Amino acid sequence: MSDALSDDGSDINQDESQEDVMTPAELIAKLEEAWLNEKFSPELLENRSEVVECVMEQLTHMEANLQRVKKGDAKASIHRMEIDRIRFMLSSYLRSRLQKIEKFFPHVLEREKSRGEGDPSLLSPEEFAFAKEYYANTETYLKAVALKRMPPNLQTVDMLKAVPEPCLDSFVFLRVKERQENILVEPETDDQREYVVDLEEGSQHLMRYRTIAPLVSSGAVQLI
Amino acid sequence: MNTQSYMPVEPGVGMEENFLSLDDILLAHERLPIRIECAFPRLGFLDKSSDTQDIPEGTKMELPLWLSKGLYERKRRVLSVELPKVYREGWRTVFNADPNVVDLHKMGPYYYGLGSQMLHFDSPENPEVAQTLLQTFIGRFRRTMDSSQNAYNEDTSALVERLDCLEKALFRSGQSGLNGFQGWEKGQASQLTASSLVLNYRKRKMTDVQH
Amino acid sequence: MDPAEVEFLAEKETVKIVPNFSLDKVYLIGGDLGPFNPGLSVDVPVWLALNLKQRQKCRIMPPAWMDVEKLEEMRDLERKEDTFTPAPSPYYMELTKLLLNYASDDIPKADEIRTLVKDIWDTRVAKLRLSADSFISQMEAHAKLDNLTLMEINTIRSFLLDSLNCMYKLRSNLQPGASKGQFKDY
Repeated sequence: MSDALSDDGSDINQDESQEDVMTPAELIAKLEEAWLNEKFSPELLENRSEVVECVMEQLTHMEANLQRVKKGDAKASIHRMEIDRIRFMLSSYLRSRLQKIEKFFPHVLEREKSRGEGDPSLLSPEEFAFAKEYYANTETYLKAVALKRMPPNLQTVDMLKAVPEPCLDSFVFLRVKERQENILVEPETDDQREYVVDLEEGSQHLMRYRTIAPLVSSGAVQLI
Repeated sequence: MNTQSYMPVEPGVGMEENFLSLDDILLAHERLPIRIECAFPRLGFLDKSSDTQDIPEGTKMELPLWLSKGLYERKRRVLSVELPKVYREGWRTVFNADPNVVDLHKMGPYYYGLGSQMLHFDSPENPEVAQTLLQTFIGRFRRTMDSSQNAYNEDTSALVERLDCLEKALFRSGQSGLNGFQGWEKGQASQLTASSLVLNYRKRKMTDVQH
Repeated sequence: MDPAEVEFLAEKETVKIVPNFSLDKVYLIGGDLGPFNPGLSVDVPVWLALNLKQRQKCRIMPPAWMDVEKLEEMRDLERKEDTFTPAPSPYYMELTKLLLNYASDDIPKADEIRTLVKDIWDTRVAKLRLSADSFISQMEAHAKLDNLTLMEINTIRSFLLDSLNCMYKLRSNLQPGASKGQFKDY
């Protein structure tokens, strides 16, 4: 490559799982979407490791190119800033997933266990290993500090019951990306009636996560 | 950025309790007035006011919530639990008139938590208790919000002292939103500060050396 | 969300700069920038504009809404209406802070703009609290929040959502039949 930085990296994304070929800019937008959704949803969302991997590939690729550029190059500093920004978003995304895994570990593992053969996995392989280890460590710790001193019939703790489940009835803020009709809003009190709302493109709403959870995973709404 | 590395388990708030929540463990120690409905043989030591070996039927005493819940059964009457005063009709009238005048810290401090837990024990008054809890929360919301959103860098102890435990937690979450924003506005985020972990670690090292 | 993260998102907005250097097109992962020619205005993201400005490599042209007359109109409208009027920009607060802190010499009447934006902000946040209170007291299940900006939502987010959660649980007390597992055995 004669001019390393003139390569716009559009050779990426040959991943077969990707239905359409995404431009790198679209890929970054996808990451941002996943980042915000993960930050604001009460439960752990499906992992987006295909996006994470593609972004990593982009970053490695760009960094490799930058290695070949001499110091003080004006373009290189701009590229480095961009890389730092993307890296920040990526780490923040992965970190917020780890936080949720720590918070809900027994339920996360349970969902993973009961998942059907062809269903997409909630966790990436690395996250799965993390969750299992976290579970084992918590159990060992509880045993060491307290449980082993209890009467024999009280030496186990049912983690699924002891650790609170994510509350899907939490409210969330969202922005509509694709118009949706007839979204059912359930009544809050006995003297209210259920009703339906249309979610216009670009409009913003405050409502229960449970109502719109499928729209988050399909990408029709964005949590904000 | 949420740099807190330890995320405490939140209290269950309603009728549920979270096993690993410190707040709920403290809540479970609140004492309830109860009446023994069948004699408890050889448990006399639990009742400090008498020196009999057994606790006879009809004894009135106080037991912590966790023990009352454990002994309580709907079908077989082992004990009956009385509503603490603050949930009884007299106080409910006060709450319904103006929930803002009540010092919930003094009356609680687990007003909502304990009130919700009381619903585990059968009582014809339960629907009214539940209704009052909800209305009190809603009635006091505006004040909790305003005080949490308007006090930046001020001594908030006067604002907080009349709040129940749950309201206090909400007050803190409102404050952290406000402080976060105002810190950002003043540009505090762009100044790097040492993490408290690092500072504490240094202190610890110093004391290690001294010993 | 930390306000700094909202600011991070605001930094993606584009702004016009007039560079004093020349540079070919830059092919960033997120899209192409430039070319840069001295004296010719060009669109760049705010994060880059601020960096160039700090290195004295450009002049920043304030966005069209960042203008005393326009902001006065918006402030008056915001005060008159009960509902939220369209914000000057989805990131008006963040951009005002960033541009006025790092490029105030490029922005005419910077101090007046700062005051006006703060006035608009205060009016809107007061409305936001009013609507939060009525959302809670009416026990609404859904609210439309067009025109609210991310920074505005963010100041009240955790407080409002935590409160709604508490209220939800206190309300489920009213249907004790639905309560799951009377006494849980761990």
